[in-house]
Amino acid sequence: MSAVSRIPQYTAQWTRPVLQIAKYTLHEAVRRRFMNVILLFGIVVIASSSMFAAWAPGAELKMIVDTGLGAIRIFGLLMAVFLGAILIPTEIEKKTIHVLLAKPVSRMQFLLGKFLGAYLTVLLNIVLMGLAFLAVMYLKRSAFAGEKAMAFLYPNLAAALVLMMFELLVLTGIAITVSTIASWVFTAVFSFFVYFAAQLRTTLGHLAEPGHYDNPISQGILSVLHVVLPHFEDFDVRQKIIGGEPVLANYVGMCILGALLYTGILLLLGYFVFHEREV
Amino acid sequence: MKRSLRNKLLVWLLIIGGLLLSNPLQEAITRERQLRRYNEPTPIAKILEFEPVAITGVIAGMMLGGFRGTAANLMWMKLDEYWHSEKWHDCLYIMRTVTLLDPHFIEAWKTTSWHLMYNMTVETQDESEKQKYLQEGIDVLKEGISWNPEQYDLYVELGWDYFDKMDDYDQAARWFGYALQFEHPDYVERLLAHGYERLPDIEKALDWYDYCLKRYPFDNTAIGATVTIRERYLEAWRLLQAGSYQQARDLILDHLATDPTGSIGIRLLATIYEREARATRDPAAARRLKGQALREWENLARTYALDSYARRKVLALKQELGLKETPEELERRLAQERRQSMIEREKTGLYGAHEHQPTAPGQ
Repeated sequence: MSAVSRIPQYTAQWTRPVLQIAKYTLHEAVRRRFMNVILLFGIVVIASSSMFAAWAPGAELKMIVDTGLGAIRIFGLLMAVFLGAILIPTEIEKKTIHVLLAKPVSRMQFLLGKFLGAYLTVLLNIVLMGLAFLAVMYLKRSAFAGEKAMAFLYPNLAAALVLMMFELLVLTGIAITVSTIASWVFTAVFSFFVYFAAQLRTTLGHLAEPGHYDNPISQGILSVLHVVLPHFEDFDVRQKIIGGEPVLANYVGMCILGALLYTGILLLLGYFVFHEREV
Repeated sequence: MKRSLRNKLLVWLLIIGGLLLSNPLQEAITRERQLRRYNEPTPIAKILEFEPVAITGVIAGMMLGGFRGTAANLMWMKLDEYWHSEKWHDCLYIMRTVTLLDPHFIEAWKTTSWHLMYNMTVETQDESEKQKYLQEGIDVLKEGISWNPEQYDLYVELGWDYFDKMDDYDQAARWFGYALQFEHPDYVERLLAHGYERLPDIEKALDWYDYCLKRYPFDNTAIGATVTIRERYLEAWRLLQAGSYQQARDLILDHLATDPTGSIGIRLLATIYEREARATRDPAAARRLKGQALREWENLARTYALDSYARRKVLALKQELGLKETPEELERRLAQERRQSMIEREKTGLYGAHEHQPTAPGQ
């Protein structure tokens, strides 16, 4: 048997523990009470989003879309950050990681398994909240008949939900990577900080341009932040949904590719740090 | 080379390779995002335009990213509470914060401007404060347009405010015209026609009403306006364009005899006098014609207490004629004349004391 023909067999062997850990993590995560509470809150807010519309006559659709997508994003963010932050430090604290790593499971397999498990949990919750939101929109559709935004509403909402899933993929990656070297509290705070700081990425890039700061150190720091921070602003297409213009598939595709690449780099970095760490 | 060192090198190579690969991709995404306006970042130049207090709101809005719409919505709900407590100044503060948090919230720009121009102006008796609120209302909409240049809504709102609150029909027609460049509802063309009608630019008004009728043959407003313009003003307008001032005047005076308070008729008559004054080379005649135009604009200002366009015309013509009168003095005089006219009406039973008399047949 040649080495090339053994690649699929080797890949299957290598991914089996990853999938096992992911499955176990998913089972464990969906049973966590805080996750259920977050999901419940999310669905309640989404279901009541049409009630908020009464506060803005003339902008009812905007209110529902903003509240619905905002709720999915904020509750998804909480899940991604807390789940990503808690999984590895808990295993280290409880010493259960030793049992897993002695199987033998490599640290890369362990990291990937935990990441996949956490992300699948977030994804499952996003899908549930997304379905609830689409149901609200469908039930309210007659109130917005003839509005410009209705032309591409459902494909645009689907695109927004897909983009949100990949935004949270990056965020889960950040939380998992940081959690390999830090406590879960630090990881959660750091992930939130990165999320909000990343929203200013383009502005930081403009400020790094010559003419704004004379100090080369400040310019250097801003330039580094501009390159390193994730592009979270790319995942927000709310303006197009309200404006009733289509979100193009090639844009969604490029954003997905960017998110996968960024998450890949993060996990490699996470592996590098985790590999060196004494547990 | 040891295996662990080789692995470390491989990981670093992958990280650096990934970063090198992701940079052009991210640049392409950013270009696409800005080109197709998926999500526009707040430009630095725009942030620097704001007053220091407002910058905090802008930065907070930017940091909230995907949540800025939700945050703005929550503030908007808070506004409802202030509104029902009649805290008008607090309402204004909240409205402004909402526009800073989410500058693409069109309704917030519209409501802020409306609150300034239609509510705050009547809350004060101070004329200079009224003017300040009116100007702020206009400025708010212009700022909103700079954030949302491809939406018709704020152009129409600005045009309407110039039309209804400022009586500046030239500006109104200009902004209604801008709105037509974007996808817009049917009534915008009619608004533009109204603007030209009030200016007055009778031919352009008719062109736009005709356009409305071609698209919607059962547009009753356009049907009525077209008939009125053709019957009353079109011929006089054409005569005016041809320089036949006397004939144009006679036609308008005939119509004013049956409708002495018709604002478009009086406007057109005043415009004819003004154009004739500009065309004549005799300074004495020009002065006399300007005086007659002044009398017509005063007539309009007296009849329509809210017509600030006519008031501006009166003051401008008075200045040209070397007659001094401040806006406050003019307002006092007009109020007195209006009172006098009402007393006359009580006595005679006629509405309005006007000089326009019908021309008898054969005269």
